Amino acid sequence: MNVLTWIEQRTGFVSMTVDFLTEDVPGGASYWYVFGSATLFAMILQFVTGIFLTFYYAPSSTTAWESTNYIYHNVPMGSFVISLHFWGATAMIALLFMHMLQVLIWGAYKAPREIMWVVGVILFIVTLVLGLTGYLLPWDMNAYFASQVAINIASSAPVLGSAMQQFLSGGAGMGTLTINRFFGLHVWLMPAALALLVVVHLIVFRHNGSAGPPTDRELKKLPQGRFWPNQMFMDAAASLIVFAIIVLLSIFSPAPFDVKADPTTRFIAYPAWYFLALYGMLRVAGQVPGALVPIANLIATIVIPTLIIVVLIALPWIDRNPSRQVRRRTVVLAGTAIVMVLAIGLSVYSQLAVQKEQAENPAPVAAAAGAQASLGTATGGAPASNQTTTGTNAAAGGAAIYAANCAGCHNAAGTGTPGTYPPLAGNETVTGDPKKVIHILLYGLTGPLEVNGQKYNNVMPPWKGTLKNADIAAVASYVRSSWGNKASAITEAEVAGVPK
Amino acid sequence: MAGHEAQAYQDPGTPEEQSRRQFLANATLAIGGVIGLVLTVPLVISLIPESLIKPDKAGGVWAPISAADLKALEGATGTPVKITFTFKYADGYIPPANDTQFVWGIRLTPEQQANFKKNRPDLFGNPADEVHYPVINMGFVIFSSVCPHLGCRFAWNGDAKRFICPCHGSQFTEVGEHVAGPAPRGLDPLPFREQNGQAEVTWIQYKSGEPDRVIVAYS
Repeated sequence: MNVLTWIEQRTGFVSMTVDFLTEDVPGGASYWYVFGSATLFAMILQFVTGIFLTFYYAPSSTTAWESTNYIYHNVPMGSFVISLHFWGATAMIALLFMHMLQVLIWGAYKAPREIMWVVGVILFIVTLVLGLTGYLLPWDMNAYFASQVAINIASSAPVLGSAMQQFLSGGAGMGTLTINRFFGLHVWLMPAALALLVVVHLIVFRHNGSAGPPTDRELKKLPQGRFWPNQMFMDAAASLIVFAIIVLLSIFSPAPFDVKADPTTRFIAYPAWYFLALYGMLRVAGQVPGALVPIANLIATIVIPTLIIVVLIALPWIDRNPSRQVRRRTVVLAGTAIVMVLAIGLSVYSQLAVQKEQAENPAPVAAAAGAQASLGTATGGAPASNQTTTGTNAAAGGAAIYAANCAGCHNAAGTGTPGTYPPLAGNETVTGDPKKVIHILLYGLTGPLEVNGQKYNNVMPPWKGTLKNADIAAVASYVRSSWGNKASAITEAEVAGVPK
Repeated sequence: MAGHEAQAYQDPGTPEEQSRRQFLANATLAIGGVIGLVLTVPLVISLIPESLIKPDKAGGVWAPISAADLKALEGATGTPVKITFTFKYADGYIPPANDTQFVWGIRLTPEQQANFKKNRPDLFGNPADEVHYPVINMGFVIFSSVCPHLGCRFAWNGDAKRFICPCHGSQFTEVGEHVAGPAPRGLDPLPFREQNGQAEVTWIQYKSGEPDRVIVAYS
């Protein structure tokens, strides 16, 4: 105790700590109150494991994948540390969802805790940005293609879309500058914002005291429990359970790692689970009648997410109902339930859709995931291209050629891959000038383009030399007359007549 | 702050309650300790460099020398020959890249070998030296082309019959003995071996400017 007294006299830290831990818990300590502190624990775990990952990770297109591969295969326990970070992210977001949901259901955002709620919503957004930016950093196939979808979503914003896309990428396309940018966001800006906002969140929490159970009685008149040690023990126990789950998952289901990003290979990206609902909305939007697609995309990718954030932030002022009792708050609770059901439904829908696409288009690289040879032999992903052709059988019909060569990206139904590869159905270029269609098929197409109001920025490979002119004519005729497209057929002579 | 007005702490409670609180406090600290320990161990282990776990890997790579160079080396009795070779150089996670270096080689007769050992006290019998390989192998001695003074590349001067460093004029005999100039030691020998009929050398960088041979880096 002498040491503590000595430190206390010189710093005041001991009394400050005691003061911080001496706090009433209205209604007594409860396991219902552990979600916030468990989220905080997951955040600290992310900070610690993240810092150790930076001892090896190097952000650039020539080192991002290589250094991550080094962590997986050469760093002692590196695969475990990176998996802790991977599962820690999932735990943090899952706990954050639960924490928010509880505050919603218990009406804890109401006066005088509006500021705390607003800070919490911002923390939620910052955490999602951390998830999004961290997803890109390994620079493997899924990191690349999933992030491309995310960046392309930004590009569908009105007016500023293209500028926003380039601002996020740090250039016209995704590359080494994108990695740097995401690294700066993921490792410096967002963690700093997170730490600062958490401190604000906690200070405001202490100012107002614990929100207690969802009751309209005066909190001070409830029997009071002790924060230390009673509530703190429950918080610690919950954190221990969370930690044990993360450790077990990291041991038995290490974080996935594909071969290095190769933009010329087709790959069905799978978003992180917490973005599946947004991705699902994008897919739904892609299925409305052609002319409405641009509006639907805009609604799905920009309007609805913005609306959700605005409603969440303004909730303490929108919800004027003074009661915190669950049975007196039908409107807000029903609204919450509807949004939850929709989000879960969309998530399940897009998870199933991604799985179906992956099953229909087995990528040869998928088998290599997590089975990379150690550094000496793995000199960078050069997966065999799966854009094999049916060869040059001129008799093969357009449909067969399409199924073998085009459906991987543009989808068997011509709907494309949302955010990544444009649809051919209802695409005015496809049904327009035959010469242009032939030219794209022969010589490929690279760079930003806009189809039905949705922006894309990817690579269409040239098919000259791989497909014969007769095949090009057959497949061009097929796409111009399928899925509601009604344009003229294209002959072999027309193909031969198009100059480079 | 809240501490002063917290109601729950006004009443110390029954002895049972006090004892329960003490248990919860200890349990909370114990949980913190367990989490901290389980986390610290893998994180600290992850910092251990590969070279400490697998020292062989950092012990340099054997680079083959060409048949023509070997032939020249076999005839190099009295006059050293320059040998150029290429090896794969792996720096951390960066994909291995080719590096080309050159060394000087000489062939010694049994009589010259005996003299060599006598004339190079800096190499034989200096416990501070990090030369953990045979300096003479099958009668051949290979010298690094880096001057032990300040790291310039010296060359063989046939007229003077000396290795002469162009930077500060250090001079060495054909067996690497330091005879003039500011160099603190004689020339540094490198590992040489024959493996399945192929002659191979390993490139090592020694610290310059010191009388003892201290390895800076392999390859």
